[in-house]
Amino acid sequence: MIGLKRFLSLCFIGLLNVFFFWIAFFLLSNAYYVLGAFFLGLVFLIDFFIFNPKGYPYRYVAPALVLLTILVIYPIYFTVKTAFTNYGTGHYMSKEEAIERLLYDPVYTYQIEDEAVEYKVFLAYDGLTPIYDDFLLLFKINGEIFIAEKPVPVKKKGREVLLSEAQLSAVEGTDYQLVPRSEELSEIRMITSGEKTYRAFYSPREEFLRLNAPVFKSRIAQFYLQKADFVHPSGNKYALRIDRTGEWSFLRIERLYRLDLIQIMENDRPKTKLVVVNNRTNRPLIEREGSFYDVNEKGEEIYLIGYIDFVGWKNFVRVLRDPRIAGPFLKIFAWTFLWALLSVVLSLAVGLPFALVLNDPKLKGRNIYRTLLIVPWAIPVFISALVWRNGLLNESYGVINKFLLPALGLPAIKWMNDPFWARVGVLLVNIWLTYPYMMTISLGALQGIPYELYEAAMIDGAGKIKRFWNITFPLLMTVIAPLLVSSFAFSFNNFTIIYLITGGGPPIPGSTTPTGYTDILISYVYKLAFQAGTGQDFGLAAAISILIFFLVGGISYVNFRFSGVFEEVGR
Amino acid sequence: MRKFLIVVLVLTAFLVFAQAKLTIWCSEKQVDILQRLGEEFKAKYGVTVEVQYVNFSDIKPKFLTAAPEGQGADIIVGAHDWVGELVANGLLEPIPNFQELSQFFSSGLSAFSYGGRLYGLPYALEAIALIYNKDYVPEPPKTVEEMIKLAKQIDQEFAGEVRGLIFPPTTFYYVVPFIFGYGGYVFKDTPTGLDVKDIGLANEGAIKAARLLKRLVDEKIIDPADNYQIMDSMFKEGKAAMIINGPWAIKDYRDAGIDYGVALIPEPEPGVVARPFVGVQGFMVNSKSPNKLLAIEFLTNFIAKKDTMYRLYLADPRLPARKDVLELVKDNPDVVAFTLSAGNGIPMPNVPQMGFVWGAMDDALNLIVNGKATPEEAMKNAVERIKAQIQ
Repeated sequence: MIGLKRFLSLCFIGLLNVFFFWIAFFLLSNAYYVLGAFFLGLVFLIDFFIFNPKGYPYRYVAPALVLLTILVIYPIYFTVKTAFTNYGTGHYMSKEEAIERLLYDPVYTYQIEDEAVEYKVFLAYDGLTPIYDDFLLLFKINGEIFIAEKPVPVKKKGREVLLSEAQLSAVEGTDYQLVPRSEELSEIRMITSGEKTYRAFYSPREEFLRLNAPVFKSRIAQFYLQKADFVHPSGNKYALRIDRTGEWSFLRIERLYRLDLIQIMENDRPKTKLVVVNNRTNRPLIEREGSFYDVNEKGEEIYLIGYIDFVGWKNFVRVLRDPRIAGPFLKIFAWTFLWALLSVVLSLAVGLPFALVLNDPKLKGRNIYRTLLIVPWAIPVFISALVWRNGLLNESYGVINKFLLPALGLPAIKWMNDPFWARVGVLLVNIWLTYPYMMTISLGALQGIPYELYEAAMIDGAGKIKRFWNITFPLLMTVIAPLLVSSFAFSFNNFTIIYLITGGGPPIPGSTTPTGYTDILISYVYKLAFQAGTGQDFGLAAAISILIFFLVGGISYVNFRFSGVFEEVGR
Repeated sequence: MRKFLIVVLVLTAFLVFAQAKLTIWCSEKQVDILQRLGEEFKAKYGVTVEVQYVNFSDIKPKFLTAAPEGQGADIIVGAHDWVGELVANGLLEPIPNFQELSQFFSSGLSAFSYGGRLYGLPYALEAIALIYNKDYVPEPPKTVEEMIKLAKQIDQEFAGEVRGLIFPPTTFYYVVPFIFGYGGYVFKDTPTGLDVKDIGLANEGAIKAARLLKRLVDEKIIDPADNYQIMDSMFKEGKAAMIINGPWAIKDYRDAGIDYGVALIPEPEPGVVARPFVGVQGFMVNSKSPNKLLAIEFLTNFIAKKDTMYRLYLADPRLPARKDVLELVKDNPDVVAFTLSAGNGIPMPNVPQMGFVWGAMDDALNLIVNGKATPEEAMKNAVERIKAQIQ
């Protein structure tokens, strides 16, 4: 019995090992080195915990440790790393990758001659089924026939092939025999090599073989030819390109860029530096602020490609110094604080009375009321927020402005366009959404207050109000104060509500950034980093997120200290 | 240990020789037709085409997140003004020349060009026009004055049950025809391309247009709270007489049984032509996709064909980007009307800097229609804001 258990647990560990190794190798082979190494380390650590008797207590912590690392520590590491880079629009890839693109991407090549080279594709067959990954190519270059085998990868990154190559060789001197022997490609029907035969499969110039074009393109060219160079004995390169007429043909090409070493003076000392050089103009590319620029014949700079670069504290300095961001920052911070505070206090003010009423044992049908009161909590935020926005708060067609206020003889309210009422509006929605939570936690906490306390108080002659303030409220707070702190932190970053209800609007007149009266820090950051700009600025967003993290952390710390006051009462 | 390695190697080997598959992200209206076209492509090429529905406004952000990681669709269907940003990120593959390119309208091709290269295959042009309900409007107005008169008449006659005129007054895109009509411009068009330093959104013409907008609000024809959803749903319910919208909405109105007509956007002043933004929809290829060549093949030798383009038009009737397809649909009055409107139009800038303009202008219009700032102040401030962000 014990043997079986041990066997099963060993099996489990074995499977876990396989799984983690697989993930690690998958990541490494796709060039995610940090994550891959991390998974490898993890699997060794787990095995160590399990097989080392001293590591016994740790084996129960291990799963939590894994999840903690994947879900918390790695994202934090990534955010912090991003905050010090220019990651964002125009800077989306690593420098290594940007250079690889310039060197190997077919786009960065130019054609030497416009005239396409005649070619023909031959396939090996297994009986009647073609074997698509076993093929030969015949080329006719300047009247001479050359043969090429399947190109082999010469530059790889992870599993991705950056460049593959095949040598063109004259047919004489190889093991291949052309059948029939001819100087014209169109007449050659087969190529034999010992026992093996390759049959003609595709040629753009032969009507019958042209029928195979889709298969040639999707099964051969797609996999083996799109990043392949065919090298002529003279050193000339030929590659498959789409020519002017849209035909897929082999053209003589040359790469636009190469890597080169140049001498520069740095601090009066000569230094060699690796640069990317344009083969046509022989001028090195200009590298500035994480981007490569080429210089054309007219001397104009042309933006080529950007890469993710380390920028130090620049993003943080921008938040603090750049008047466009720092200006409204304080104003928005003040509103964010007020918003979070009012959200918590007001929703508690609504939820607590409900809880007190529901807690009264004399009330009949408590469960029905409780269920009904929890409804706002049960509806997904996205739906109820949109119902509020379009159905209730809309200025012309919303229920409040169209029916409720006129019935009371009041003028319509500009829910979306008046700064004060817009703020009231978002607060209203948030209270509606969060009071059931407050009610539920209060109900739970009320159960824990011993009835004897009230009996004693009643005997002492304390009235209802006095009993509430001196017994119920302090004892309630002992339990729910920490929950209030966390709900404060949640409201502080409650992007969804703001974004769905007002989108941060109405705009503050005269501001040079997209600032609105109801914008809280997180929605402001979102607008700055993702909407206002030329696209996305992850570096800035990460920097501001880190600042917000410290803000919320600091406020929560103070709050916890404050809620400790109630714990004194509870003792 | 060695066994594990072998298992791992075998597993990765399987992944390497996986079949090629083309993934397309497109918005709702093109899903069905592209799926059918994809099946035809599969029959011919043996390559599966997977069409995924992505909300139009999510395609670009989603692509921006996925593509740099080597994931994401091989082909996306989107608007030409995404090109600048996507090219700056190195995510779009240029589309090579092909035989039938001359059959395409040059406006569509130039909209998708950036830095002298073509980055998208256009399939539909679009521009907004006046759409009116024939039950209330027998003859579409030619000038804004006539439109105001008509709208007031309808508002009075139906006592608020039917709105005379609705368009989203705080959305730059819908106000642009008047701004451009009076001589405003976003970025100065120079022989060497757009000059992003020269912004014409606070010039005399633009301010004149802003005043016109304010007047529409003051005379209670346009409500500051109007937005696209209100406009769209009220027209569908037959509760709006005139709206300004684009060809993408037509299908819904027809399905809703509205007897609509399409006309040019009224002239802000007699002789001053309203000029809407012209947008172009098209197919773009992911430069990091391992299936680039196939994707280009799919576009140039399959989608770009006359038949396919015509079928795309039938599925989602917008102005076709191919001349010979437009000939086929000339007898459709909607297409003719939208084409005329687009003929007056100005292509939306496809430079990344355009990203700053939308938000700044929407906010400015918001302040104007709500009376929080005068047209001059709001427009000047918006231009300041755009300039400050472009620097």
